[in-house]
Amino acid sequence: MASLAKYRHAFLIGLQSNLVYRWNFAVRASFSLVHLAYVFILWGAAFAGQTSVAGFDLRQTLTYFIVMLILQFFISAMNEDYEVSEEIRNGLINQFLLKPINYFAYRFSIFAAARLVSGSLALLPILIASPFLLAYVSLPAPGWTYAAAVPALLMSACIQFTLAYCFGMLTFWFLEIQSFVILSLAIETVFGGQVFPLDLLPRWLYELSSYLPYYYQMYFPAALLTGRIGTPMEALRGLGIQLFWVFALYGVAQLLWVRGLRRHTAVGG
Amino acid sequence: MRLIHYLRLWLACVRYSVVRTLMFRGDFIMWSLVELFWMAVNLGLIGVIYQHTDSIAGWNQWEMTLLVGTSLLIQRLLMGFFWTNLFEMGRNVRSGAFDFFVAQPGQLLFMVSTRKIDLDGFLNVPIALGVIIYAARQLGLDPSAAQITVYALFIFCGLAIHYATLLVFISLVFWLQSAKGVEGGYFGLNEFSRLPREALRGVSAVVFVYALPVTIVTNVPSSTLLHGIEWSSTLWLVAAAVFWLVLAVTMFHVGVRRYTSASS
Repeated sequence: MASLAKYRHAFLIGLQSNLVYRWNFAVRASFSLVHLAYVFILWGAAFAGQTSVAGFDLRQTLTYFIVMLILQFFISAMNEDYEVSEEIRNGLINQFLLKPINYFAYRFSIFAAARLVSGSLALLPILIASPFLLAYVSLPAPGWTYAAAVPALLMSACIQFTLAYCFGMLTFWFLEIQSFVILSLAIETVFGGQVFPLDLLPRWLYELSSYLPYYYQMYFPAALLTGRIGTPMEALRGLGIQLFWVFALYGVAQLLWVRGLRRHTAVGG
Repeated sequence: MRLIHYLRLWLACVRYSVVRTLMFRGDFIMWSLVELFWMAVNLGLIGVIYQHTDSIAGWNQWEMTLLVGTSLLIQRLLMGFFWTNLFEMGRNVRSGAFDFFVAQPGQLLFMVSTRKIDLDGFLNVPIALGVIIYAARQLGLDPSAAQITVYALFIFCGLAIHYATLLVFISLVFWLQSAKGVEGGYFGLNEFSRLPREALRGVSAVVFVYALPVTIVTNVPSSTLLHGIEWSSTLWLVAAAVFWLVLAVTMFHVGVRRYTSASS
């Protein structure tokens, strides 16, 4: 229990430090409604004259993008890669090497706090817009989709964080990691289903994407919550692959940490 | 004379940026790839949607590609000339490194906006141009010299409007604790530049066509190539560029008055 207490404190400090930037999160969440307006207009125009695209109607498609937007604030990594990178580059990481604290768990505690703040604040503009948005929401009926969505969401958050952490670890080898991060973000934006629902891709490309970690970062839980995963078997298969990626990425993160520390030089008193 | 002085200053900054890029060649290649990939993402979205529909607000696939290509061209120019400078301004105000600019003997906004240029942004300009030319050929367009000249003027106006919009967003840093996430607002608005004007109706048309110039920056130049020069649109775009530049510069200077150095 004592070992968990330190991460609880890290979580509480994370809450405080993220609340300092509450206006930034609120402004960012408000701007995301602008993105939602763009999505509504674009897809509204694309659906003009037809009732369904790839088997889904306009309301189902718009629900997908609304869910995607909300999930983004609750589970996606935002600045974690840069924060890890800064701590390595500025030598702040040295203090963790001398203390009985696991750096991964410490950063994850901060990440959890940050998402709690950003997610809660993102709900405010969404609640304000809800009288308008609710007219476009069409959620699936089967209870199993929601039951499967809970572990999927938790594992998505783990994948999001661990990927960001791994990119931060690259600072041990590269002076500047921003380009890697943005390139990964671009891939994630497409294969995470943020630009369009992945089931609109040609079948072979969709199948291929379902083996990539990006699919499980955002698309998979959003697809479960919006009825785009049709059967319990399909959901179970997805959860299995997602679990694999959680462990695989954690393994990569640990490997990068151990190898990175071998290259690390702590300077100063 | 002052203009020549500032031109010399800018050329010195360009030289510094080129040398810096040559020092970090790997980074340059990586960023060029990043920008190329983002362009592909935007074009990919169009490709995917047109696999399931024939028209978006009356625009066919190649008309939309022309529109998106125009948006990408303006954005690459913005990235090349101004993005890094304004992005860093947000960080510098928070950290106190903005002092460095305040202390320089020159017009503050000029110093802030022109310190660096990004060659990777410029590297993708020919690719954006290639997309526009390819779409025009698919549409069988044969624009006159006047149409191309007016199109180039519109791209310049579009660049001015994008610069002004970004400056407005980043200048919020003088009121907020940091600009973190705020620049996302610029990208949010920029998405509307990839929409046909006809897709916007009611409130959205009032906001994104008339109140904010985000849609006209690309629709007006694209329509010039597609349907010829319309003088009312020309006047509209030029006036919007002037108005937004004045607004952004004013907001920046009001914000600077609030700046109190954060360094020790």
